[in-house]
Amino acid sequence: MTKRTFCTLLMSAGLVGGILAGSAASLLAADQAIKIGGLFPMSGPGSYFGAQDKQGVELALEQLNKAGINGYKFVVQYEDSSCSPLPATQAAKRLLDQFKPDVVIGEECSDATLAVMPVMEQAKVPLLNAGSSAIKITDPGNPWTFRIMPNEVMQGVDIATKAYNQFNARTAVLLHENTNAGIGNANVFAATFTKLGGKILADIGFGRDVNDFTSIATRVAGLGKIDVIPTYTLEGQGLKITQALAQAGVVKGGGGQAIQLGTIWLPFGFEQKAGKAAVGYIRIVQFDPTDQRDVVRKFIEAFKAKYNADPTHLNAHAYDQIMLIADVVRRGAKDAQSIRDGLAATKSFSGVTGSVEFDKTNQNTKMDTVHYMETQADLSWKAVK
Amino acid sequence: MLTVILQQGINGVVVGSLYVLVALGLTLIYGVLVQINFAHADIVTLGAFTAYFVTHLFSGNYFAGIAAALIVGGVLGWLVNAVIFAPLRERGSELLPLIATIGVSITLQNAMLVLLGPIPYAFDTPYSNNVIRFSGIFLTAQSVLIIVMSTIAIGLLYAFMKFTILGKALRAVSQDRETAALMGINPNQLIMLTFVIASALAGMSGAMLGPVLVLTPFAGATVIVKAFAIVIIGGFGNVEGTIIAGLIVGLIESYTTQFLDPGLIDIVVFALLLLTLAVRPTGLIAEKREENV
Repeated sequence: MTKRTFCTLLMSAGLVGGILAGSAASLLAADQAIKIGGLFPMSGPGSYFGAQDKQGVELALEQLNKAGINGYKFVVQYEDSSCSPLPATQAAKRLLDQFKPDVVIGEECSDATLAVMPVMEQAKVPLLNAGSSAIKITDPGNPWTFRIMPNEVMQGVDIATKAYNQFNARTAVLLHENTNAGIGNANVFAATFTKLGGKILADIGFGRDVNDFTSIATRVAGLGKIDVIPTYTLEGQGLKITQALAQAGVVKGGGGQAIQLGTIWLPFGFEQKAGKAAVGYIRIVQFDPTDQRDVVRKFIEAFKAKYNADPTHLNAHAYDQIMLIADVVRRGAKDAQSIRDGLAATKSFSGVTGSVEFDKTNQNTKMDTVHYMETQADLSWKAVK
Repeated sequence: MLTVILQQGINGVVVGSLYVLVALGLTLIYGVLVQINFAHADIVTLGAFTAYFVTHLFSGNYFAGIAAALIVGGVLGWLVNAVIFAPLRERGSELLPLIATIGVSITLQNAMLVLLGPIPYAFDTPYSNNVIRFSGIFLTAQSVLIIVMSTIAIGLLYAFMKFTILGKALRAVSQDRETAALMGINPNQLIMLTFVIASALAGMSGAMLGPVLVLTPFAGATVIVKAFAIVIIGGFGNVEGTIIAGLIVGLIESYTTQFLDPGLIDIVVFALLLLTLAVRPTGLIAEKREENV
């Protein structure tokens, strides 16, 4: 490289740098920003969470940043936390070091959230979670972690009681991934169901790398009369389990008697992918597209306009996380400490996925939009009252 | 109980057949080049997606999907070897091609992630939900197809390796590349042929695995670790050993699920791997060649 070329390059770099620095300075001068870190799985088996969370977040940002709240606009930086403890911890540290967020939303998988919590606590940045169910996240409680979704105890007790009292189930087989959330949810169901008088015929856990569930379905088929099969997995394995159980003639979708019970983890559209095997499948959701509340109707309308698709509860959860932060900013919060305090003081927030009011462990105590839905023969669903 | 044992035996053979299909490509490349191909998993995934889209394009014609996956796999194998691996091998480094396979793997995985998204696809063929029941046993037409196609693929590969001039030349190259070259065999052409066959097999195995796997851009990664284990247990590049090891691993998985716990599958399989390495480091069937461990 000649001296002349080198000087030209140096001057060009300086010019570009100057322009960029000037732009950033004018941006900062024009608007104050609440910086939100987004810890979502963008790779691996839980990446469907991240893709749908991002849609919900982007919709909320689009709406909020038209006018801002109290002079603040909202900026999100995403990091891939992979639904797994190590990458989630690394992603959280990257966010804290480089982006310096005022608040972080995510993760979806309990193992990842549990790993991230101490990092957030040490940095004194609030973590707002909407997708992890393990009880350990809010029990005994962490002043910097808040959860708006029902935890495994709230979900498990409700599902087991419904199974025993309403579906007259007396026998159950538990199928779950071997994670904090999978094991925890299964244990809560087992404890409640047994206490009510039911019997657990088998408790079958498996890794996330299992693809073919025919062998598990064969084992389940040999366990005698089964009334319900509570299943705790991510979407991909959930599809394969449902199809295998139907092929083995165990569940209603395959001509059997057992009702498969699912959790909030599965997105809408699961039924269409699983096909006829999903007929009779009953699961809980925290978002009802037929809900007539104004906040829900407007969310659905805006989502369809932006993405030309129906929203799922994962979209809705992410949307609610941003809207809750906006609500806290509206109440005067402007940094990590005041956002934390504002979240803790939340009393009457009404989101798409329900109301929010935290107890002393920062667990949302409201379950006013938790619904049971059953897959019909045409793969549509109806609410189970 | 006899029915359950038989049923789990069938389940194990189906899963084992799939593992064999994936592992055969790996073992071929290892046998000829003594190189681990980390991109193999992603060619499997690409094969699965190719079969998915072509099957839908041809109104549910799954065989068109399998054929397309075979071709796409083969073409990709040729392309990757011609553009990346072969030039790196010419530099005389053994490490560079190995690292390049990791690079190709990451590139393919992320390209599929960008193009196809992370949300699982439901790949149902006309045979997936066609359940055959007899004497308390059940299996899908898809499972029968997996066994048949695997048997045909294994048979053709075996015949090619044993009874054709090219197959014999390949075996010669795998035993001693330099001596084979002195006998008038062009090792580079045969290495290219190996990549094409192995990648075509990977594409085809993807087409067969697609309806079984949780189909995402990361799908192949979930089976490749087992496939590596099978290659090692089978005997580092030995085709017969790979077939036997694949079926053993499939059967271990299904009987572990039935009589122990599915959470223990990996422990049992990798305990077998360690045992093999300790007792018989050359694998179930040792291949006679210079580089053999």
